[in-house]
Amino acid sequence: MKSLTNYLDAPRSLEELSKRLGVTDRSMAALVLLSAVVAFLVISPMFWLLWRAITVEPSRAIDLIFSSRTAGTTINSIALMGLVTVFSIGLGVPLAILTTRTDLPNPRFWTVVAALPLVIPSYIGAIAFTGMFGSGGQVDTLFGTTIPNLDGLPGAIFIITLYTYPYVFLTTRAALLSMDSSIVDAARTLNAGPLEAFRRVTLPQIRPGIAAGALLAGLYAISDFGTPAFMGASVFTSRIYWEFNNFAVEYAALLALQLIAIVAIVLVIEAGIGRDEDATGGPSNGSVIRLGRWKWLAIGFISSLGVLTLVIPVAIFTNWLFRSQGDPISSLEFEWVYAFNSVHLALIAAFVACLFALPVAYYSGRTNSLLSRILERATYIGFAVPGVVIGLALVFLGTRTLPSFYRQGIWLLVFAYVVRFLPQAVGTVRSSVLQVDAKTIEAARTLNASRLEAFRRITLPLIMPGVVAGGVLVFLTTMKELPVTLMLRPVGMETLVSIIWGAQADLAYRYAAFPSLLLILISGFSMLILLRQEGSDLN
Amino acid sequence: MQQRDTDQTQRSTMSRRPFLAATSASVAGLAGLAGCLGDDDAPPLTDSDPGESGVDSGGVRWDDLGNLEGEISIYCGRDRDQIDDVFEALEDEYDDLSVSVDYDDNDVHVNQIIEEGDATAADLMYSQDPGALGELEREGVVQALPDDIVEGVPESYRDPDGYWTGVTGRVRAIQYNTERLDETEFDGPEDFPDDIMEFATDERFQGIISTRPNSGTFRGFIQAMVELEGEDDTREWVRGMMEDQDAQLFTSGGDQAAAVEQGGDDDPIIALGNSYYAARLISEDPDSPIDVAFTENDAGCLFSVAGVAATNAVSDPDLVAEFVRHLIAEEGQELMMEQNGEYPVVEDVDYVDELPDLDEINPPEFDLSDFDMDMQGARDIIEDEGMEV
Repeated sequence: MKSLTNYLDAPRSLEELSKRLGVTDRSMAALVLLSAVVAFLVISPMFWLLWRAITVEPSRAIDLIFSSRTAGTTINSIALMGLVTVFSIGLGVPLAILTTRTDLPNPRFWTVVAALPLVIPSYIGAIAFTGMFGSGGQVDTLFGTTIPNLDGLPGAIFIITLYTYPYVFLTTRAALLSMDSSIVDAARTLNAGPLEAFRRVTLPQIRPGIAAGALLAGLYAISDFGTPAFMGASVFTSRIYWEFNNFAVEYAALLALQLIAIVAIVLVIEAGIGRDEDATGGPSNGSVIRLGRWKWLAIGFISSLGVLTLVIPVAIFTNWLFRSQGDPISSLEFEWVYAFNSVHLALIAAFVACLFALPVAYYSGRTNSLLSRILERATYIGFAVPGVVIGLALVFLGTRTLPSFYRQGIWLLVFAYVVRFLPQAVGTVRSSVLQVDAKTIEAARTLNASRLEAFRRITLPLIMPGVVAGGVLVFLTTMKELPVTLMLRPVGMETLVSIIWGAQADLAYRYAAFPSLLLILISGFSMLILLRQEGSDLN
Repeated sequence: MQQRDTDQTQRSTMSRRPFLAATSASVAGLAGLAGCLGDDDAPPLTDSDPGESGVDSGGVRWDDLGNLEGEISIYCGRDRDQIDDVFEALEDEYDDLSVSVDYDDNDVHVNQIIEEGDATAADLMYSQDPGALGELEREGVVQALPDDIVEGVPESYRDPDGYWTGVTGRVRAIQYNTERLDETEFDGPEDFPDDIMEFATDERFQGIISTRPNSGTFRGFIQAMVELEGEDDTREWVRGMMEDQDAQLFTSGGDQAAAVEQGGDDDPIIALGNSYYAARLISEDPDSPIDVAFTENDAGCLFSVAGVAATNAVSDPDLVAEFVRHLIAEEGQELMMEQNGEYPVVEDVDYVDELPDLDEINPPEFDLSDFDMDMQGARDIIEDEGMEV
């Protein structure tokens, strides 16, 4: 095992080597600078929060921070984040193993089923679930019974887990696919049981992958507004929204800062767990686990999950499509330009996010310094802050810095998406940077390739799958993002979610049906691209 | 290494200067551009004379008014289906008019305009809540409307200085599920108390009542209760609703009405909210088991208005003023009555719809403009007594 560890430490030894050779040079400095600029841009909206929070009367601020209600909110939020994370790992890791390491039939199909819930906005899932299982819902009407009450904090935890576990599934799967599984066989020949081999060989290697996905799931959970609000769980997001809606923007800012403090602690903890030990890629043609008769149990598990997360919402939307017609509402009538706007915005956001993610991810993947870790972690803050807070911060900054362009085009909106979703790109790009064998670059350098050329010809093609994967994740989440879209889009511009939201607010569900189905379809296709591309990466 | 780093620093310092210069130049350029594009020079709305006739004489029709030409953008805190027909009708009437509407939560818009200040993208804020419009006035982000508009609307339905005006009226009501009353101890809607205060004390409501505390109209309702009954009784009412009646709380008036209509075991049978939420469900499905009842002369049947305010960023004052005239002219009022069951705010326009006429409802007499819209006060009461979602 010791020699293996040394092997895994290649980047660090390369760094030492390059230090000895004196090549810590300008391009590295430029990289640091670029990363710093990106990190600064992404956290810039938080300065607004600070500024607003400072204006709260100190006594009132102290009352607010130390009130028992705030304590309750904090406990609820932490419980929500923690349990969603734990349950997401509980669902995501076994599913990743099932689809990569076992003889499960049609693994590609089940992979799609397991990954697809990510394309459905959780608030829509929540609505579908209460429509199906809640009191007065379809199940209630048909069988005269309700499934144990789906509301409050447990309901929110349940729903958010169902729609965020794919983060863990996808990152764990990627880690499993890229690790050299012949080591597992080696361990097995050395008489380690399957569980022991998993614990001692596989787990350490895929741990950063699990941690990366778990972090995204946890941060998503703590920043989600729609689901807890719908389920009536009192957490930071709903509390912030409440304060904000009551013209107490300063208190909302103060609460948001408390939220950020919690997130910062989580980021530090995660940084400890997700250490970079997986810096190797290799052919993954180790032996597969034979499921035997467990196969049916596995298939039953994934398919019932699929029915819960996918079939039910789609059935509900389809049902909405044929709901009784009331007075027509012409402004909710579907137009293809809504879909075009959504796709267009999501593509630009994905592209910009990848561009922003490259320096940060490359720098943090290549070096393991405190600075690189701080810069990388800084990009995660926006993901955890509720969209309405980011939106308002950018309203403030946008109107103060470039008033003539404010809401006149989409640039501020795209920037908001990047602030929110950059970590998804940083995470995947960084994982693929970690997988690049430093020796290859070293070889190119000894063949006289310039640093830039080596990056362009060796590194970039190797990390391209990660860049695309990150881009697709940003695309998916941008497609379904709501509060920022509502606040920052040019006046009069509608997207799929803004129409879904409008239809829901008006109780005109039939108008939400088609855009919802289209949203799932488009996002579903991009998910296929993500998985297909992962497959070709494998070959 | 050390040496190299120093070189590095010097190099970047040198290159930073042109960068800073370039940045400030472009900032200055943008500021200049902002000056050209900006609306600082637009004359105030009060200087804008009616295109044809003013609306102060009452009962003015669209034909009597001036042409609408150009682009107007509106932040709309009202629901799309309630208001869109009016904008559409105006666009149909005037070929060269384009109305861009941003629909979102009312309070989000108000906070947004306050943050945006004079750089707001909106010409008009269309709000469901006079309290919110008053807040915009206090923050100094809206401007006075022309005299004929101000004089065209009775004083109790607008700001005394003309910083906002009501466009239509709405009334709070008791929504109930018509099929589920037999599960309760009420024989029928006529059995409900006439006094909103009893809704927090009458044990028959325990466990079956709901409300939606996070809206502007709920705050207005609480303010009205404070005016009529005093702060202590209001606090007691909120506390009673929470602790004794175990009221179910909703975050959306639409969801609340839908739950009453849905009628599951855990759904409320009675709900306090605006009457039009029920009216809309009935218009979607005439057989819907939801109906409304009213209390007498108290905050429970508070009559309030939805209205508009023009921002400081108005780019074409004549267009915006003329647009508002169209809203309070006869056709504008009629469209909103028919569409929403709302009430006209202009004299000489008769009420036509299926909801009970204002005479039948007997709402409390309130001068909405005079009504002390102390948002913080109402907010504190609601929050202190633990009614939050």
